[in-house]
Order: sequence, then C-alpha cells, then structure tokens
Amino acid sequence: MSAFLSVFLIIHVIFGVVGIFLFGGVALNLLKQKPSFKILKWFSLLGFLGLMISWTISGGYYYVTYYGKAIKPIIQAGATPWVHSVIMETKEHIFLFLPFLAFLTMLIIWLNKESLIEKPRLKNMAAIVSFLIMVIGIAIILAGILISGTASR
Amino acid sequence: MNWYSFLIIVHLIGTVLGVGGATFAEIFYLKAKRDGVIEPLEVDYLKTSYLVLRIGLFILIISGFGFLLFYRLSGYGGGLLNPKLWAKLAIVVILILNAFLIQIRKIPMWLGASVSLTSWYGAMILGAWRTLDASFISIIIAYVIAIFIVVGILELIKRYLKIPQ
Repeated sequence: MSAFLSVFLIIHVIFGVVGIFLFGGVALNLLKQKPSFKILKWFSLLGFLGLMISWTISGGYYYVTYYGKAIKPIIQAGATPWVHSVIMETKEHIFLFLPFLAFLTMLIIWLNKESLIEKPRLKNMAAIVSFLIMVIGIAIILAGILISGTASR
Repeated sequence: MNWYSFLIIVHLIGTVLGVGGATFAEIFYLKAKRDGVIEPLEVDYLKTSYLVLRIGLFILIISGFGFLLFYRLSGYGGGLLNPKLWAKLAIVVILILNAFLIQIRKIPMWLGASVSLTSWYGAMILGAWRTLDASFISIIIAYVIAIFIVVGILELIKRYLKIPQ
C-alpha cells in the first residue's frame, strides 16, 4: 500500500470513529433532562463532518482505487470468503445510513432548539436516531476490523 | 520517539483517566449516599469524575484504533483477529451500552456500577496481560463472573459503611 493510501486509511478510520463517538455523546446529552445545546450543536456538526470525511474523501477513494483490486481477491481466495460476500457487502450498504441520519440529527438540533426544549417526544426521537447512528457505526467499525484482519492473515 | 511509543503513552493516559474516573465516580457515589442525600457539591464531584472518565474513554478509543492501524500498516494485521482483542472490544461496547442504560435508568444502579467498574478494570487487565492465551468465550465468561464478584464486593462495602439501599 502506498503512503498516500495509508494516509487515506488512517483518515477513514479516525474520522469515522470520532464521528460515531460524537453521536454517542449527542445521544447521551439528549437523554438528559436539561441538555447542553452548545455541546449538542458542536458534537452534531463535527460528528457529521467526521462521517462525511470518512465516507466520501477517504473511504470512497480507498474503496474504489485499492480495496477491489488488492484486498477483495485476497479475502475471496482465503478460508473465509464470506468476510467479503457477507460482511463487506453489508458494510458498504449499511454505512450509507450514517451520513444521512447524521445530517438529519444535525438539522434537528441546529434548527429546532425551542421545539426540542418544549417537546420531550422530539428530543427522545432525536436521541434514538443518534443512538442508532452509534449502534450502526459500532457494527461497521467491528466489520472493518474483521475485514482488515482477514485480509492480512 | 516513534509512533508505537507515542501510542502506548497516549493509551496509558486514557487508561489512567478512565479507570481512575470510574473508581472515583464509585467512591464519590458511595460517600454521597452515606447520609441518604446527594448534595450539590457531591453532584459536582460526580459530574467531574464522569467527565474525566469520558475523556479517558475517548483517548483510549482513538489510541486503540491507532494501534489497530499501526498493526495493519506494519504488516501485522493478522493480530486484528486475536480473540483477546475481540474480547476487549466486546467489553468496551458493553461499557458504552451500560452508560446509556444508566442514563435512561433502565439498569439498577448496583448492576450498572458493577458493570462499569469491571469493564474498565477488565479492559485494563486484558491490555496489560500480554501473555494471556485464552479464547473469546472463556474471557467473556470470566468477565461475567467478575461482574457478580464486584456486585458482592460493593454490597459488602455498603454494609460495612452502613450506606442506605
């Protein structure tokens, strides 16, 4: 792997993990009786940007230019080809939820501060969406570790 | 200093803050409950402990992924399938879910506190015990047993200090 692609892989992983961690923070904060909107706004904005960078700039480029040519054949020729056919195929479709759910949550927080204070139901719904981002994110992270480990075995 | 040494130092800082934060959160909680009333200053101490704990968790997760990337890019990526690593990941996921369950009060405090403490110490022990050669299942079984041992220890401390239930 070239140094350029290594940097892309590092950006993909770190920005993705940070984005998911920040949405975990958003969910925890929304579950409080009096959430801090300063924290909510920053966490949702930075979380969304983190997921976008992880998806478009780094992950997408890495996938298109490297994964299909270098990693996929190794996994398919190995003892556990299902790691590509099941895990990677699932990962590359399910991750698409993340940037959109993150954008939705960010918009709710930035544009509906008053409603979030007045309507606990909306606040709980936003918390559930943020929690969902974190759960999907953790599943994708674990899938990524399994794929990387299988390719380097 | 090379990248590996840098990652070890950052990971240790995260562990110290996380394990220390979890320990002091429990100590402050038990002290606060002693007279049956949690006063504003005690709430402040608890909030500070949780903040330190969460900063520790963030540092630990980022440096942990730093290690995974380091192994992957150094050609030792096969280590990513190590059962000890997956047990540690499972414990960290349980730790995060436990924080949510405590926040929405869907887990009794005696169990939530025990899961939190055991997870932090368990992850630290797994990280430090380099020669441990155990399967994923056996580590998780030991972890579950440890949770209930910690439940018992905390109960004994509560009785000794006469902390109301």
